[in-house]
Amino acid sequence: MMRSHAATAAHPRIRHQARRKAGHGALTLLIDRFLLLPIGAVIALVWANTAPESYFHFSISFGFVVNEIGMAFFFALLTQEIVEALMPHGALHSWRRWSLALIGAAGGIAGATAVYLGFVYYQYETILATGWPIVCAVDVAVAYYTLKIILPRTGALPFVLLLGIATDVFGILVVAPRHPVLEEHAGGAALLVGALGLAALLRVLHVRTFWPYLAVCGTLSWLAFFREGLHPAFALVPIVPFLRHEPRRLDLFADPPDDDATHHFEHEWNVVVQLILFLFGLVNAGVLLQGYDSGTWAVMLAALVGRPLGILAAVGLAVAAGLHLPHRIGWRELVVLALASSTSCVFGLFFATGILSIGPVLSQLTIGVLATAAGALLAFGAARLLRVGRFAAR
Amino acid sequence: MKRDSLPRLVTALVGLLVISAFRPAAQDVRLPHRPDSLKFAVIGDTGTGAGPQFEIGRQLATIRSGFPFEFVIMLGDNMYGRQEPQDFVEKFERPYAALLQGGVRFYASLGNHDNQNNRFYKGFNMGGERYYTFVRKNVRFFVLDSNQMDPRQRAWLDEALQRSDDEWKICYFHHPIYSDGGRHGSDVSLRVTLEPLLVKYGVNVVFAGHDHIYERVVPQKGITHFVVGSSGELRRGDARPSPTRAAYFDRDQSFMVVEVDADDLFFEAVSRTGTIVDSGSLQRKPKT
Repeated sequence: MMRSHAATAAHPRIRHQARRKAGHGALTLLIDRFLLLPIGAVIALVWANTAPESYFHFSISFGFVVNEIGMAFFFALLTQEIVEALMPHGALHSWRRWSLALIGAAGGIAGATAVYLGFVYYQYETILATGWPIVCAVDVAVAYYTLKIILPRTGALPFVLLLGIATDVFGILVVAPRHPVLEEHAGGAALLVGALGLAALLRVLHVRTFWPYLAVCGTLSWLAFFREGLHPAFALVPIVPFLRHEPRRLDLFADPPDDDATHHFEHEWNVVVQLILFLFGLVNAGVLLQGYDSGTWAVMLAALVGRPLGILAAVGLAVAAGLHLPHRIGWRELVVLALASSTSCVFGLFFATGILSIGPVLSQLTIGVLATAAGALLAFGAARLLRVGRFAAR
Repeated sequence: MKRDSLPRLVTALVGLLVISAFRPAAQDVRLPHRPDSLKFAVIGDTGTGAGPQFEIGRQLATIRSGFPFEFVIMLGDNMYGRQEPQDFVEKFERPYAALLQGGVRFYASLGNHDNQNNRFYKGFNMGGERYYTFVRKNVRFFVLDSNQMDPRQRAWLDEALQRSDDEWKICYFHHPIYSDGGRHGSDVSLRVTLEPLLVKYGVNVVFAGHDHIYERVVPQKGITHFVVGSSGELRRGDARPSPTRAAYFDRDQSFMVVEVDADDLFFEAVSRTGTIVDSGSLQRKPKT
């Protein structure tokens, strides 16, 4: 996950350059609000439904570079966030901070998966069963900005970030070994051991710049993942913890400490990753809308109904067992939060392309993933109905 | 009988006569029926277990008495709904009982409604594989699982096509890469993945289902595409006008019978009532 501060809080020189390129306005806003990816997705949808042959030639040609190489940087930044939040004095260091969100995430995963598989088997569409990891995805950016509008200055924001990250990490663990590959080769494990050993050596030598970690260790790790048939987009995940870090609060979309070499990696790559996300949307979100089918409804039901119900049930049980709801969050707010977590666009798309190959199954599930964007609207609707946050009666 | 009901009865009888005069009568298959030619039938989207599937089964058996095809290729969605052992009886063995008793073999491909484990069902002759190939006389068939064109399947097809020096190469799978069906239409992502291989290795004919109509598509890049997705299910009136549409039939269930002899392939599409709704022939271009 990247920061929204891509241009505003990066290293001053880079920030200046980025802003100058962005014309000090529109692009900065697009980057800050994570709008490049949805823009890419909309372009892809229009392109695929007006000139499908040229779109699919493009998407197949660039799919590998974007999904399996470019997205490695996206997951590296996400890993950086989590590693620093887990450090002493970081947001996730104390179990009390994350226990309820983790329980909520588990409930959401269980609810979404149960509804998905229940629907698929009820419809006797067993071919779709392999797509269940797709519903283990929360679009953290959408959830965050939805709640930032509805429930500002409450415990909802860190709670939903934790819940989303936990859900997505679970999804990543499930998706990584399910990546369809032509063949697996021996020797990947040895390469990975070499990459990790080298990264450890660089750390011992107090190498602070991220380039050797990325160029040498990252490349070795990518090759290791590729050879072993694991999704190579996760190749930088085991390398990032060896970079030097400092603890931080978990606020992915706020300004990070604007300081030093330890954040070079994310500073250097923030804008790049946003552009990668634009390409990710462009390459993966193009589907023929005619391709909707049972899988579309399965994903939508799982995300928009199963996950919120699962979150509410799990948190309800945890509160009954003695845990406390976050600051200024009651049950009505929790309903809104659960609905805000039902959008799964970015990770849902990634998981879909990560476990499924080109074909009608992927198409119908992708349409379902894109349709979960309705979760944000449901959250606004629920907030208005329940008079929560900015919709509360004065 | 009341006096004033007699004119009504006469009118009704005349009406029936007029209707039956204009209704196409069942026709005999007009394929050449040459000795030693390869004869087979094509059915798609069959497994409903409902009346029309049984009627198609009976038509196939009737046709076979005069045109003894050896086997039937199934274009997927061989089973809808529940797929327990009893369903294989209700949705496959009973509708095609006469054919099965006559020794006709069925070679299935998997559709989106098929349980992937159905590839182990003996009656489908898939040998436990999602994708496979078999040869009969001078024709090699390539059977694909179009639900997902994973890298391994594509590599397998590449190699299998490359190895084949058979005179005719026929590929069949469930999702059409060319179709003017209104509900689904062409799967273009699949087309972009598959078509280069089909063209490169000189595949002659592609059969697919999924859209519940019959359609013959104007040859695309040298390949003739058929959609035969109405041998059980039917989406009446679903064929959309298109410059790529060579022939279609979307008013009733249908199937195909095919004969391949040397460089000629003859085909007929036959409706549930036995009417020939499309026919023609293709000639294989000799290798240069």
